[in-house]
Amino acid sequence: MGTMTNAAFAWLAAGLGAGIAVIGAGIGIGQLVAAALEAASRQPESAGDLRTTMIIGAALIEGVALIALIICFLLAFKVA
Amino acid sequence: MNESQHLLASNEAATTEHQAVEATTATAEHSAAPANEANAHVTEAHAEAHDVPPAEVFTHLFSELGDHHGIVLFGHVADLPLIFVDNGKVDFYTSEHSMEAAGTYTMHKGHPVKKVDSNPPQLDLSVTNYVFFQWVAMLLIFVVMRLVVGKYKKNPKKAPSGLQNAIEALVVYMRDTVVYANIPVKRAADRLLPYFLTVFFFILTVNLLGMVPGGHTATSSLSVTGALAIIAFFVINVTAVQEAGVGAWFKHLLGGAPIGLAPIMIVVEVLGLFVKPFALAMRLFANMSAGHMILLVLMGLIFFFKSIWVAPASVLFALFINCLELLVIFLQAYIFTTLTAVFTGLAIGDHAHGEEHAHH
Repeated sequence: MGTMTNAAFAWLAAGLGAGIAVIGAGIGIGQLVAAALEAASRQPESAGDLRTTMIIGAALIEGVALIALIICFLLAFKVA
Repeated sequence: MNESQHLLASNEAATTEHQAVEATTATAEHSAAPANEANAHVTEAHAEAHDVPPAEVFTHLFSELGDHHGIVLFGHVADLPLIFVDNGKVDFYTSEHSMEAAGTYTMHKGHPVKKVDSNPPQLDLSVTNYVFFQWVAMLLIFVVMRLVVGKYKKNPKKAPSGLQNAIEALVVYMRDTVVYANIPVKRAADRLLPYFLTVFFFILTVNLLGMVPGGHTATSSLSVTGALAIIAFFVINVTAVQEAGVGAWFKHLLGGAPIGLAPIMIVVEVLGLFVKPFALAMRLFANMSAGHMILLVLMGLIFFFKSIWVAPASVLFALFINCLELLVIFLQAYIFTTLTAVFTGLAIGDHAHGEEHAHH
């Protein structure tokens, strides 16, 4: 232990960043699926279309989260 | 390091107890004594322990997961050839050993570098495990599709059965719900259908080969997914220009906003052109490498704690992750194809030359 080096700060930032990014993506996908399920239960005949649209939306949210995670990876690996 | 040695030593018999103390003192010396002397102490302690520390088992397994020059088939290591092009000179080696023996190149941190200036060769065309398994996937797709086509040609009137039926279900599903549903122009959809089916089956097969014992997932390399995304980039934009015209393609860079907003919109839309394929590449890469890394970490826990009681939990959880991985494999192949189709449809927009709209 001892004083924190720059690398230590970078790793801390990478870890915290990954966690926060995942929180955001989790809330996003949670709301998306909740809305899709509600819509599908109100109108079961549209469930097929809804599923496709839902998966595309989930993939886009996931894409944003992945870009955040890539930044965290860069922080963790490049500084070391 | 210090901790892993402790873990290792405490599990050994009483005779090795003092070695653990020696190892800790050796590492404690590390800060005070000259570095090389302290290192000598540590390696001595390792040699006496007659074992690989858990941390090194993990790094070894980790390097096995990545891109390297060899595959393991039924417990035997098969070497794959290394091909370098440097200053117009082509070097061919059958294995890493023969490369080291020839003396021009050497391995440094898992990458081949020149011995003279420790730079990588200008062009590395080596057949790595990822390249090999992509070839396996291509061969597999070719053989399976030929078989199915042969069956259709033999009895065109008979209802499909077996393998033919499975492939037909996938092809018809992709055609109706992915390509025709998302690309508004029928002519473009028909022309691009072979591309979408090829991409879908290629990604699916490459992903599935990673689940076979001894197999590697080529899509967990950013180079492979990047190449697929670059192809997708050209498919999206070339189709848009062909179907909607160059003028409409430039006009969609405005995003439908008034001309006054052009300085902002053009920057955003040009960025969007490149972010879409970039996200495609990243998504596939991250999803496919994450699953394998979780499996590796779960298995690594057994080595790390060196305890049989960790194994049942590890193995059961790994089994669960394996099932999840199967779902992810199909989902990611589907997502990549669907998103490419959606982006193509969006890029064409409503500007198509008076074409009839296929599905709405």
